[in-house]
Amino acid sequence: MTNQGTSPAKSDDLLLEVKDLKKHFPVKGGFIKKGVGTVKAVDGVDLFVKRGETLGLVGESGCGKTTAGRTILRLLDPTAGEIRFNDPKLGWINLEKLDRKQLQKVRPHMQIIFQDPFSSLDPRMTVERIISEPLLINKMGSGQEVKDRVAELLRVVGMRPEYMSRYPHAFSGGQRQRLGIARALALNPSLIICDEPVSALDVSIQAQVLNLLEDLQRDFNLTYVFVAHDLSVVEHISDRVAVMYVGRMVELAKTEELYYAPKHPYTEALMAAVPKPDPRKRDRPIKLPGEVASPANPPSGCYFHPRCRYAKDICSQENPELIEVSPEHLSRCHFAKELTLRGVIV
Amino acid sequence: MSDIIGQEKVEQDVVLRIKDLHTYFYTDIGVSRALNGVSFEIPLGKVMGVVGESGCGKSVTALTIMRLLVRSAKIMKGEVSFFRHTKKNDLSTMIEAVDLLKLEAMGPEMRAIRGAELAMIFQEPMTSLNPSYTIGDQISEAIILHQEVDHHEGIQRAITVLDQVGMANPKMIVNRYPHELSGGMRQRAMIAMGLSCHPAVLFADEPTTALDVTTEAQILDLMRDLQTQFGTTIVFITHNLGVVAQMCDFVSVMYLGRIVEQAPVEELFYNSKHPYTSALLNSIPHVGSRTKTRLQSIRGVVPDPYSTIKGCPFHPRCDSFMPGKCDQGMPAQSHVNPTHTVRCFLFSDEVEE
Repeated sequence: MTNQGTSPAKSDDLLLEVKDLKKHFPVKGGFIKKGVGTVKAVDGVDLFVKRGETLGLVGESGCGKTTAGRTILRLLDPTAGEIRFNDPKLGWINLEKLDRKQLQKVRPHMQIIFQDPFSSLDPRMTVERIISEPLLINKMGSGQEVKDRVAELLRVVGMRPEYMSRYPHAFSGGQRQRLGIARALALNPSLIICDEPVSALDVSIQAQVLNLLEDLQRDFNLTYVFVAHDLSVVEHISDRVAVMYVGRMVELAKTEELYYAPKHPYTEALMAAVPKPDPRKRDRPIKLPGEVASPANPPSGCYFHPRCRYAKDICSQENPELIEVSPEHLSRCHFAKELTLRGVIV
Repeated sequence: MSDIIGQEKVEQDVVLRIKDLHTYFYTDIGVSRALNGVSFEIPLGKVMGVVGESGCGKSVTALTIMRLLVRSAKIMKGEVSFFRHTKKNDLSTMIEAVDLLKLEAMGPEMRAIRGAELAMIFQEPMTSLNPSYTIGDQISEAIILHQEVDHHEGIQRAITVLDQVGMANPKMIVNRYPHELSGGMRQRAMIAMGLSCHPAVLFADEPTTALDVTTEAQILDLMRDLQTQFGTTIVFITHNLGVVAQMCDFVSVMYLGRIVEQAPVEELFYNSKHPYTSALLNSIPHVGSRTKTRLQSIRGVVPDPYSTIKGCPFHPRCDSFMPGKCDQGMPAQSHVNPTHTVRCFLFSDEVEE
């Protein structure tokens, strides 16, 4: 459908390929709780992830980035679309077709790190139980073996193995996030979805966790899908970046290209809105009028057209396809090839 | 215009002078020393940024000045001088100094100042608006109280102020409840509430932290416009250094209940002195840096405020730690130049107390 150009030549380098992914939630209302509409949380995401790279997934709150991440892992069942995962043992498989049992075989290879380190660790479990749980479920050893593995994992994320018997409340936000990372690493996954892993942390701690994620990626050849709304963090960590707006992926490109030569007006506005930490570069950003459209009642045509300063008649009538502007640079805009847009100004 | 009030010489360009503020919280698990001697001056008509990590006392400073602390908090000592015209907004009247800490927190004088002359907008527009009153009722409450108008006129003025903060369709919005508005609209309503009585000083406690970048840009733009239009002094509390760089004229950096460095914004970003400030600046990824260098992180964590650290509170995490010096005494505030102060033994040997 809209996936021209999403598959680079060598599929062995690829780890994940998502085609036209959709996730709709029914809205129930009224006395008999019948469906009164749908929220199109994810409504057309096409992306591919190469082995060992970090793909950033950005967008404003409610744009569907978290839902997209969770649907890719099959924590949510997709409404439509294809999720192809290159499993180290089974080879290419279509995740959307697997049942529970089959999924369990694949799950060890794909993990998730959650946003909130306070609610994602069970307060009634010790650190040892939290980190060993995935090992025990997947029968990766027992007794001392598991304990040694937990100690090793704690060391890997920069924490002392003696902490094993403590409960989560004894740790600070940054330390808890390290525990979440240790748990995600337990089964030697190849893909980790990082869902806003640093947004709940203070800046000095954020830097520690970002550095840790980069070290782990290098040491264990991990592949990240990094979901975040902080554009400076995403620029720092990502090799390529995908931008979402109201459930649709609107642009995907190499980080540098996306930040300095964007091909979608929404990306341009997003880049201009970031407050730059330099008092000598004060500029008035491009004013983006209005509010983010509601995924329950999106506008016609291109979802961005009511706020877009380049919008023409066609934009309110036809939904633009994802087109390849240059190799591996995709944009969902009718005028992607004609517009000259401003990136981050340095 | 005279500027001699009582025995004290009043500088016309300062609106608030805070001296040696100590605020402690008495809780079941001990005493949390939230503020340990905060001193600074807020220049009139400027935007003053207060930055620091969570728990450093940024919000407590504002709440202490506003006298909005919870009951478990005690102001141990300090002085907050508020310089105001004897008749509000009448520039021809004399300037008088009021020590806010000498007033009863819930007494008539403080209540007359709070909301009218000193106002505050809070971080979470979701939780700080009352869900059971309409936006119009909540904004007009302060207007009716301070401007002595009836309900109808109050609502009319609420509509005007909503219009000023760029809310689309303010006539409809006054009848809406908070849950019917988006995050950005709620924050606009909060700002409208804060500005409704044209305060001299507006404390903005992380006003954009809960918002998306495009909405944040709209709100920052709005605050900048309102500041030029009304000349309101803004105290901008945030941990986002990008926002500070774009908005503020002066910056105070806080660490564990003390101001460790104070400077005009350019000076702070280009010539920071305190190791904590430099570390903070180096630990944030910059948009547009293009280079993929490793971020410099600050080792360790912010110590909990229940513990007392001997010497400079930053010494356990500091790269320039000097044994025998930094862990012994508290460095005094010293001047780098007339507008730039720092609290660090690298620049002065003076010890406090």
